[in-house]
Amino acid sequence: MTVRYGRGRALALCAAAGFLSWGGAARADDASAWREIETKYIFGFTLGSGIGLEGEKEVTVESVGRFGKRDGHYSATETKYEFEFTPSQFIQVEFGALGSTHDIGGVTGLDDRSQIALGGAFAEFRYLAIERTSNNPLSVTLAVEPTVRRIDETGGERVRNFELETTVNADLELLRNRLYAGFNLLYEPEVTQIPLGDTQREATTGGSAALTFRIVSNVLVGGEVWYLRHYDAANLTVFTGDTVMLGPTLYIQFTPKMFMTAAWNTQVWGREVGNPAPFNLSEFQRNRVKLKFAYEF
Amino acid sequence: MSAQTIMPKKLVLASICAIAMFQASASYAQQPTEIHLTYSKGQFQPSQVSAPADKPISFRIKNLDAKAMEFESTSLRVEKVVAGGSEGIVNVRALKPGRYEFYDDFNDKARGALTVQ
Repeated sequence: MTVRYGRGRALALCAAAGFLSWGGAARADDASAWREIETKYIFGFTLGSGIGLEGEKEVTVESVGRFGKRDGHYSATETKYEFEFTPSQFIQVEFGALGSTHDIGGVTGLDDRSQIALGGAFAEFRYLAIERTSNNPLSVTLAVEPTVRRIDETGGERVRNFELETTVNADLELLRNRLYAGFNLLYEPEVTQIPLGDTQREATTGGSAALTFRIVSNVLVGGEVWYLRHYDAANLTVFTGDTVMLGPTLYIQFTPKMFMTAAWNTQVWGREVGNPAPFNLSEFQRNRVKLKFAYEF
Repeated sequence: MSAQTIMPKKLVLASICAIAMFQASASYAQQPTEIHLTYSKGQFQPSQVSAPADKPISFRIKNLDAKAMEFESTSLRVEKVVAGGSEGIVNVRALKPGRYEFYDDFNDKARGALTVQ
């Protein structure tokens, strides 16, 4: 045990030393001399307006984990295996497959389950509507993401689910090459057919605000807040509850062609219609985590 | 779903596609302003260039070095690898006034800027 602990500690120290020396080298630079940064993934769950560079291709693996319900134990992840490309200076296209895991036990309203599955497929189309220039710090992108799932995102049962995530992704460069604010608006209608033949229609709407600071040329840290509302109807007529989620974000550019982003959101407030208990743990989860690795070529 | 609700959705989608295609095609319809750059000893020559606003731009980059370079710019939203001893052409949409930085993605010291006015 002692040897293992020693090795682990040595590795952690080496990693910390490497990170600090690498960060220190970057710190010697002046922010005005840093390269401009692509803003799409610097805000955590909030997406920036970036659409990449014309001709650029990217493969990414993005996992979102959701943890915690009112009772029992609940853990679910969805991983996107994604290919992105930018065919023009205004449009970006993405598509890929979804993998999912569910580990659920003793949660009211959900079956106990422990499974790994190929969950579905998705595509995303992004259009840059307002571009940033040195005279205009605001940039806005409109995005639609149709998704088909054969595994229910929350409960893990076999379903046929069609979702259309529609977002407005905006960001502002508040301090040149240093400080950025991001804003999202979300409308996400979906229809789910369960094996017994019932069809459920629902929608999630909301918005987010994020702030991220570039501490060294290749590392950004920040925070974001999301307000989300859930409806049992795509036309937003049957309100069932809402929530506020809050948490930190991290973005690291390892090389000019490789980066990672991480974010953690925890529910700080929520309500369910007809349930006086604190938080909304019926439609949402107590915590969610995002981890994404990308390689451009 | 009724035809009345489907039609407006289709119209909205078609309008968005039409606007996107128009914006993309309109910016390339004009004769572009040509900007000639050479890349030698890991530096752009000239490193500061200018162009008129609202006209597309065509960068012609001659790489005189033996190694490949990658002309790249986040604000111009372009990238192109130019092999050693060869020339590459990068077409850019019509731009609004401002300063747009470019660099060699393989060499952090090679930087330049385009001023559009």
